[in-house]
Amino acid sequence: MKFAATLGDAVETVEVTGERGRYRVTLGGEVWEVDARLTAQGIYSLLIAGVSHVADVTDRDGACVVDVGDETYVILVEEQTRYVLRTRSGAAGGRAHQTLVAPLPGKITHVAVRPGDTVAAGDTLLVIEAMKMENELRAGAPGTVAEVRVRAGQTVNAGDVLLVID
Amino acid sequence: MKVLVANRGEIAVRVIRACREQGLATVAVFSEADREALHVMLADEAYAIGPAPAAESYLSSERILTAAKAARADAVHPGYGFLAENAAFAEACAAAGLAFIGPPPAAIRAMGDKTSARRIARDLSVPTVAGTLEPLAPDADARVAARGIGYPLMLKAARGGGGKGMRLVRQEGELESALRMARNEAAAAFGDSAIYLERYVAEPRHIEIQVLADDHGHVIHLGERECSIQRRHQKLVEECPSPVVDAAMRSRMGEAACRIARAAGYVNAGTVEFLVDAEQNFYFLEMNTRLQVEHPVTEMVTGIDLVREQLRIAAGEPLHVTQADVAWRGAAIECRINAEDPFGGWLPSPGTLTALRAATGPWVRDDSGVYEGYTVPGVYDTLLAKLIVWGADRAAAIDRMARALAEYKVVGVRTTIPILAQIVAHPDFRAGRLSTGFLDRILPAIRTAAGRFRSVAVIAAVLAEYERLGHATIAESVAPRDAWRSSPPLTVWRERTR
Repeated sequence: MKFAATLGDAVETVEVTGERGRYRVTLGGEVWEVDARLTAQGIYSLLIAGVSHVADVTDRDGACVVDVGDETYVILVEEQTRYVLRTRSGAAGGRAHQTLVAPLPGKITHVAVRPGDTVAAGDTLLVIEAMKMENELRAGAPGTVAEVRVRAGQTVNAGDVLLVID
Repeated sequence: MKVLVANRGEIAVRVIRACREQGLATVAVFSEADREALHVMLADEAYAIGPAPAAESYLSSERILTAAKAARADAVHPGYGFLAENAAFAEACAAAGLAFIGPPPAAIRAMGDKTSARRIARDLSVPTVAGTLEPLAPDADARVAARGIGYPLMLKAARGGGGKGMRLVRQEGELESALRMARNEAAAAFGDSAIYLERYVAEPRHIEIQVLADDHGHVIHLGERECSIQRRHQKLVEECPSPVVDAAMRSRMGEAACRIARAAGYVNAGTVEFLVDAEQNFYFLEMNTRLQVEHPVTEMVTGIDLVREQLRIAAGEPLHVTQADVAWRGAAIECRINAEDPFGGWLPSPGTLTALRAATGPWVRDDSGVYEGYTVPGVYDTLLAKLIVWGADRAAAIDRMARALAEYKVVGVRTTIPILAQIVAHPDFRAGRLSTGFLDRILPAIRTAAGRFRSVAVIAAVLAEYERLGHATIAESVAPRDAWRSSPPLTVWRERTR
């Protein structure tokens, strides 16, 4: 079975065969014999060419977050066909807008922008109080505020849409 | 003898353990968010005290006293945070016939108002950082007071502690928004939005002295803790001894701390905080009239159980050790494992700990308030556990901490573990070149992934997906995933970083 693994701008093609903890993985022209065991939910023990690794694999918005050693990788794994269809249709190209969702539950203590405002990367968008800290949230990319869906004082849940930026 | 622990999380667990070892019965209190918390399970008795918001539960003196009465408790240990430095609560305990395991209300009051504490230190000729000696009036023009001190300056909560309600202001344009956030944080954390101003000392070290005082006039110090590794004034790594404090400096700082404690009529365990500049001059910052989060490093190096001493002192016993008995052996380091995403704007990361494997082994201590399967609520602070190690010297302690952090596995929430591993491996940390600016200084160069384990990570991720799609089984299936999104996740916003 073939997969496309996307790490930032890089895409790796990975082929896997095998079952029951014993796999053959082809990655970057090399073939690896991998003994992989799920030892607790999300904690894998991997033996690769005699080297023992422990990797934590968790999901974040459909991507894998992998902690191994003191490193953390965010990897989008897609079955090869699905990846090809997605990239051919151009869905990964220009984004019409960016929808900003609350990353965690909290209370909006300040909204710094209004619809129509132009924002630059680094501009304060709003402040959310969560777990006893005021977290000032800033734009990571420039754009125009299309919608503001929250008010100061409002309590939000993780995943709630807060702002839409064109 | 029965002790009610008016707190939650790892510190409630720590106090319950000390009581258990002393043969004292324990009473836990819990909010609606904490029915399944570890402290509830470890205590002999447990009482609900109200809804999840701390203001309606852990900060409610009335509800805690009601629980104490229902449980027929004899004493109350406040832990740190919440009501620990609330003089009115200490008085209310006394009025209800309960021993408050902490200092007398007058000492809490004298030190709890940081401006009054600064006046006490000044009167004893202990050096202080320049700044206002009174809190800023609510309607006062902060700009006027700020101009008198000069920029950059620090805004600090007059009732503050633990770094909450503190903000660095570099120029006048930042003052208004910083003041608003500091006031909000102070009001939420301490129920008092009073703020004072202090000159900003560039790149200082934060070094504090542990003191113990009994009801019989004995005041001793247990040496220092270096707490310079901080992020937004929240300590992340602490150690004892400090790499810059020698016996002579320890003795000078300890003596100053004891003088302040004596002048305040202090009894029980307390901590006197100092800023130390590049020339090793120290300046009084504030006194924390409670047990500190980082107390274990002192315990590991002195062999003195601070919570046990607190219980004995509250029972009216004299100190069991004299200053001459106190000896410091080896080095201890503490790392705070918080449910925060250090590579995702440090946002809090509440959620269920689907897997948890704490570090163990020689000279490793895990002061934790959580367990596998526990759901970290999103309403309290983010501290999950404190990992503490001891070594024969500082280098050995650092090596041991690196080993322990590599063993510590938390799955389900993001934690500070990866950044802690990078901190203790950093050449400046190993060399003891520390300052409160350390983390901000090293963060830009820190990469989440240096590439050493890239192939392993890809293999692990692909195998997880391969298995999820049903082409093989490993041992059991991973948690079901959300539907695939049509594009990689994007982070268009992140928390402000200086």
